[in-house]
Amino acid sequence: MSNPVILCVDDEKTILNSLKEQLLDHLSDKYDVEIAESGEEALELFEELLEEQYEIPLVISDCIMPDIKGDELLIKIHAISPDSLKIMLTGQTDTKTIVNAVNNANLYRYIPKPWQVEDLMLTVSEALKSYYIDQQLEEQNKALIKRTEELSKALEDLKTTQQELIQAEKMAALGQLIAGIAHEINTPLGAISSSANNISDALRQTWEQLPKLFQILTVEQQNNLFVLLDESLLQKNITLSIREKRAAKKVITAKLEEQNIENAIFFTNILINLGIYDDITTCLPLLQNSQSEFIFETAYKLSTLAKSNRTIKIASERAYKIIFALKNFARYDHTGNKLKFNLEEGIETVLTLYHNQIKHGTELVTEYANLPALEGYPDELNQVWTNLIHNALQAMDYKGTLNVTTFQKDNSAVVTVTDSGKGIPEDIKDKIFTPFFTTKPPGEGSGLGLDIVRKIIDKHDGKIEIDTEIDKGTTFSIFLPME
Amino acid sequence: MTKNAILCVDDEEIVLRSLKEQIGDYFGDKYLYEAAENAEEAWEVIEDLTDEGVTVLVIVSDWLMPGIKGDEFLIAVHKKFPEIIKVILTGQADPKAIERAKTEANLHRCLHKPWNIEDLIDAIQSGLDKR
Repeated sequence: MSNPVILCVDDEKTILNSLKEQLLDHLSDKYDVEIAESGEEALELFEELLEEQYEIPLVISDCIMPDIKGDELLIKIHAISPDSLKIMLTGQTDTKTIVNAVNNANLYRYIPKPWQVEDLMLTVSEALKSYYIDQQLEEQNKALIKRTEELSKALEDLKTTQQELIQAEKMAALGQLIAGIAHEINTPLGAISSSANNISDALRQTWEQLPKLFQILTVEQQNNLFVLLDESLLQKNITLSIREKRAAKKVITAKLEEQNIENAIFFTNILINLGIYDDITTCLPLLQNSQSEFIFETAYKLSTLAKSNRTIKIASERAYKIIFALKNFARYDHTGNKLKFNLEEGIETVLTLYHNQIKHGTELVTEYANLPALEGYPDELNQVWTNLIHNALQAMDYKGTLNVTTFQKDNSAVVTVTDSGKGIPEDIKDKIFTPFFTTKPPGEGSGLGLDIVRKIIDKHDGKIEIDTEIDKGTTFSIFLPME
Repeated sequence: MTKNAILCVDDEEIVLRSLKEQIGDYFGDKYLYEAAENAEEAWEVIEDLTDEGVTVLVIVSDWLMPGIKGDEFLIAVHKKFPEIIKVILTGQADPKAIERAKTEANLHRCLHKPWNIEDLIDAIQSGLDKR
């Protein structure tokens, strides 16, 4: 590793040599000294040394020289190597040149001729010291900038990881629900399939029977039939529960027997299915027809068409609702921008997905205040509702009452999730938001749920409150600021 | 005058309706068709029918219902009415529960939702033929 170089420039050879000697004497082998007898030579030498990768911390130059003056030389050198320190050796009337060098070459010091060796060496050592301190500072700055860049990148990576974790939790929650959701979709599919079958059967049969039917009916009876079918097909009657239907059956059977209609139970069943629960006056003339059984069987088949159709509509809507909820839930907004959204829609999406978990033992009570649209990150909030509802259901072992309400308090939209479970003991209450804290056995929960919830609520500048009582239940309240 | 009935039990109204339709459509006048939305209601229906002198021949029941699950229900039915043919029709079934129903309720068939109409009719018909 070659020594750093001090470059000395003076047109007088004797001065140059003594300068060199003095420097070498006092700087004991740590530096090399190069000499040049003119500005041009100095510049050439300077460039050469730079090319050969030498470090030149210091340039000492005379002021008055034949070709380029000292200040001009130092200005040129400053342009090439601003870090090199420059000292000028001056005569007595060189003020203007000194000022010029100070202003344009960042002159470090000037030394008037003739100089004392001690003064020279003092100035030179200080110059060198200053040079090395500057170098060090620059190194440290570079290292600092690099470090800052690394930290920024690490922060970005962490943020990305956090988002990925949130998404992973979401998918994990979804995974747990999948079996139930599949059943929820399967059920309407079964109903649609069997309704479709029923329709094709009923259609086939009525197609064959209708002509015969209208042949045997008088005009008045045909009208009766139309009225009957109208009422049934248009479902004007309200649908009764199974219990109510059984009670109605008894009423109808009694009325039919009053009218001496034979095979009352057979007709009762059909009438109930046609939606006639009380008043048999419209169908009486038809019942008294000798082919009453045939008439009512056909009427029944016709109403089957309408009912099966209704079943298909209801079932399709149900399946669609679940798919819609799934799409909403699995959606991941990559833009990171705030969106306008409806709070209650998100809650309903989650409740739809949890429907299967809820319906088998939990009573769900919801009370929505129809809050106006908010701005925020709805996909992430869905995660919050999922977590709270999931925790609530688990706290009560899937049996109990789940209360979900929304309302406005001052400037906040409030969502509360209440369970009738075992409550949170006082000593755990503070820990539940801690990452990886869980009361569940290993493998059953990452313990990240509430930590993620809190992060998401923080992101919305909201807050979380807990109200809990042992063996009575817990209420989580989420406050989100409204515009 | 029919004195025999087939009972369908399922907590989903749309399933119950279409099931009853389908079975009723196939077997026509031969039987009465009843429906219940859960085990409790099913017991009420069975009692009512018994009072009226109607025999329940077949029960087609869902497994996952609120309250008493299908297997428990059919096991209880078997204790009181061992001759009733019992079929489970289900979307989600705990295999252990189905096993229990087979051993303790003499479960005749287990069908999965969405069900195939031929399988359903075959299950009921083969059960009826056994009697």
